[in-house]
Amino acid sequence: MSKKLKQIAIYGKGGIGKSTTTSNISAALSKMGYKVMQFGCDPKSDSTNTLRGGEYIPTVLDTLREKGSVKANDVIFEGFNGIYCVEAGGPAPGVGCAGRGIITAVQLFRQQKVFEDLDLDFIIYDVLGDVVCGGFAMPIREGIAEHVFTVSSADFMSVYAANNLFKGIQKYSNTGGALLGGIIANSINQEYSKNIIDDFAEKTKTQVVEYVPRSVTVTQCELQGKTTIEGAPDSEQAKIYTHLAEKIAAHEISHTPSPLDTTELREWASGWSKQILEVESRKVSAGA
Amino acid sequence: MERTVTTQAAVKKSSSIAQVRYVCAMGASHTVSAIPGAIPIVHCGPGCADKQFINVAFYNGFQGGGYGGGAVVPSTNFSEKEVVFGGAERLHELIESSLKILNADLFVVLTGCIPDIVGDNVPAVVGEFQKQGIPIVAAETGGFHGNNFIGHETVMQAIIDQYVGDYSDPKEQGTVNVFSLIPYQNTFWRGDLAELKRILKGIGLKVNILFGSGCAGVREWKEIPKAQFNLVASPWLGISTAKYLEEKYNQPFLHLPTIPIGAKETSAFLRRVGDFAGLKKNRVEKFIQDEEDAYYRYLEDFSDFYAEYWWGLPATFATVGDSAYNLALSRFLVNQLGLIPAKQIITDNPPEQYREFIRNEYRHLATDVSAKAEFEEDGYVINEKLRHTDFGHKPPIIFGTTWERDLAKELKGSVIEVGFPASYEVVLNRSYIGYRGALSLLEKIFTTVVSSSA
Repeated sequence: MSKKLKQIAIYGKGGIGKSTTTSNISAALSKMGYKVMQFGCDPKSDSTNTLRGGEYIPTVLDTLREKGSVKANDVIFEGFNGIYCVEAGGPAPGVGCAGRGIITAVQLFRQQKVFEDLDLDFIIYDVLGDVVCGGFAMPIREGIAEHVFTVSSADFMSVYAANNLFKGIQKYSNTGGALLGGIIANSINQEYSKNIIDDFAEKTKTQVVEYVPRSVTVTQCELQGKTTIEGAPDSEQAKIYTHLAEKIAAHEISHTPSPLDTTELREWASGWSKQILEVESRKVSAGA
Repeated sequence: MERTVTTQAAVKKSSSIAQVRYVCAMGASHTVSAIPGAIPIVHCGPGCADKQFINVAFYNGFQGGGYGGGAVVPSTNFSEKEVVFGGAERLHELIESSLKILNADLFVVLTGCIPDIVGDNVPAVVGEFQKQGIPIVAAETGGFHGNNFIGHETVMQAIIDQYVGDYSDPKEQGTVNVFSLIPYQNTFWRGDLAELKRILKGIGLKVNILFGSGCAGVREWKEIPKAQFNLVASPWLGISTAKYLEEKYNQPFLHLPTIPIGAKETSAFLRRVGDFAGLKKNRVEKFIQDEEDAYYRYLEDFSDFYAEYWWGLPATFATVGDSAYNLALSRFLVNQLGLIPAKQIITDNPPEQYREFIRNEYRHLATDVSAKAEFEEDGYVINEKLRHTDFGHKPPIIFGTTWERDLAKELKGSVIEVGFPASYEVVLNRSYIGYRGALSLLEKIFTTVVSSSA
């Protein structure tokens, strides 16, 4: 019996730790024995760097530009533990249409039936999280990813981006698009950070899959061009990533989120900022 | 009194349009090819420009591509590669190649939808060539900006802004720039603009007609700022450009919504232009007199037929077409032929701000005749409206397009193709306006009517 390919999209605001988290999930899944492909959908094309010793790989779109056509196998590169790495790539900043680029790259792979041939267990799309146009929503359209996870810190801007993503998911949910698996809470070190994310998850009717603390181990490994799973396999942080990967592997049912509307989101954020201010000012007065 | 119809067609407004009656803004590539010596360069997907040409210049009087239109037009043929990475380089390359193999006094780069959406910096690409002194301008004409009427004004203003340039020297009294019919979209523009130039010249003006064989090419465009005034002869098209010129060159403009057809309208038109320009009255009147003498001699001969032929000349008419011809014909048919307006449908989608003005023109077609102007672009709805119009006992005559042919048959009436698409007309220099054009129009109308029983 052929196994069921699980396609997952991970979104998050730029700079929030989305590629780091994705690469560690890929690495952990791979160590668990699964065949994994990581598909970077960000014009910066650095999603898979830590799976390949810090190296950039030729992207689908660069190859398309140079050769006029692309054989999928020419743009798949093996990384850590045999993980297949692909970067969609995109135009130079300020020109062309990056969104269309993602559509082109993903379609090209689907047409060539690469996923079936490689006998994969997981494809993880790592997508720029500000879903600014239709192209960036490509991975959550019908027939591509089934589950979406969003990486978010407790930072309001990051939560806003997650909320926008939820709006996109909600929209596509009527037409067979991917549903939301949950939030991967990143850089959670303060107690109130956890509370903020928990509250947001509750308000939007979703769940927090894992709390990932900020850790210097991650930075050290990345500087060596490695994931934490590869560079510090016995660290606490690696255990957290492994745990997260196990949950994702076991995850079966996703749901349509209930994003907040603009006013609700603003009021929600302003309520929390008052609470944080109180906490911080108590700290200051206690320290004085 | 406004005519009432027996059955008011309750047709629901549709979101789609059957039977195309104009093309997209990039169809203004024809505005460029209508200037002798100018060549458009299109930055768009494959097929865009060809479709425009086949529509507007082929199955519309079979006008042809001329020196710089039709199959000559260079296109970047935007592909997926240009969408993703931007098409600026490809455009640069195309302009360079075009300069090598095409001889033109002016190139105009027109953008289609894709580069406008993707955000190609076309002015920057074109700007590099402008800096080298190459006569080239860029116009943003992606289809979502509007139809080819809107594109027509965009292109004219782009040429004035980027090619004609600044001017502050004194004006030449007695020189006029004419903004009237839209080239190619209006099937008879070549003959009509020639007639317009002839009559304006006749009263003593120096005329920059700007398009067609009567235009001296781009050097005439360079003369635009020197003119004493601008004449907008159309219900709305050209007003935006005239206002632009008013601001840019401090040039006044005269707006006469009715393109004149027949002696009565044409003489009145010339007197108003003459007054505005401050021309010598006797010169204007002398020309009018000579023209009317000739015109009415022909009409006198025609009157025997008109009075005696009682086997089915139409009494009522409908007009379906662009506002310029629609209004001009309605006024001519009412005031000079005595026909009764039954249905007036305007199809060029005029901007909202001009619509009330246009409606008002129809309310006062004559001192005792009022008509209702309806704005509609969908062929199905237009057909339904005509089908339910009360044309009285006699077969009606419809001034429309090829699209109205089947319905005219159904109503046992006649159709005169006066606008896009006119696919059963071969047009070279025929004109339907002014003194001479009106005679051709009369010939066309009554030849059609009397031959319908042949």
